[in-house]
Amino acid sequence: MVKTDTHIEEQIRAIFSGDTPWVTIVWDDPVNLMTYVTYVLMELFGFSKAKAHELMMKVHTEGKAVVSTGSREEMEHDVARLHEYGLWATLQRGDQAL
Amino acid sequence: MTSEGFKRHGSNSYIAEFAENEREILINLAEQIIELLAERIDHGHEDPLAAMVGITSHDSPPEDEVLHRLLPNAYQDQADSAEFRRYTESTLRNKKQAHAMAMRMYLKSAEDGVIDLDHDGANAWLGAVNDIRLALGVRLNVQERTQGELELLAPDDPLRGVYIVYGWLGWLQEGLIEALMDDS
Repeated sequence: MVKTDTHIEEQIRAIFSGDTPWVTIVWDDPVNLMTYVTYVLMELFGFSKAKAHELMMKVHTEGKAVVSTGSREEMEHDVARLHEYGLWATLQRGDQAL
Repeated sequence: MTSEGFKRHGSNSYIAEFAENEREILINLAEQIIELLAERIDHGHEDPLAAMVGITSHDSPPEDEVLHRLLPNAYQDQADSAEFRRYTESTLRNKKQAHAMAMRMYLKSAEDGVIDLDHDGANAWLGAVNDIRLALGVRLNVQERTQGELELLAPDDPLRGVYIVYGWLGWLQEGLIEALMDDS
């Protein structure tokens, strides 16, 4: 059995169940330190340091990055946790233009 | 500013020592966040049951720019955002107040100036310091101003002191994160 990323599993499940997955987006912010964004992503999502750093760099260079995918309820939960730690995050349907 | 910032001791202890003036500044900033968030408490709620389960009548974002940054919209769509805010804003506000209160409590009880945080305490401290930096960042207008412009603030500009504290808090935060990441 190939071990897939839970993130991909969630997307596949959503496709088969006919639900459009939702996404959580973190936006660039001039106040939040790069190390802080990396640390919060590691703490809240259990990402490795390398994965969290890669997502933080995407936020920093491209202005935003998708950090999680799933049901609307799950994404609302993720956005609330990101707001608790001061990251600038929103959620939207995954098929909407970013 | 004389503190050397947070250093890791053992597996779950992050220690910093602060001079009396540094401790006073940090307590004062934490208290300002607690008070600012309290301004948003919903006094006019007509339904006590709704208030009890945390539903507020707030469905538009705070007019104050700092409060808006601390309690941001969750959707780009205004209607979805308003609905989400009604059900979640009071919880978010309570969590942020709890972070700032924890930070204040650590500082108040450390009469010798030595702060000793465990992992959870460190996360609350980081959240509180970050909220203070977000608030100061709005006041300094870091969204519009470049770092160079901020560095060049005149010594008699009242924002000069704010910028120095803002920079110091960033340095303090960075040191604590490095200490925390050291064990991962």
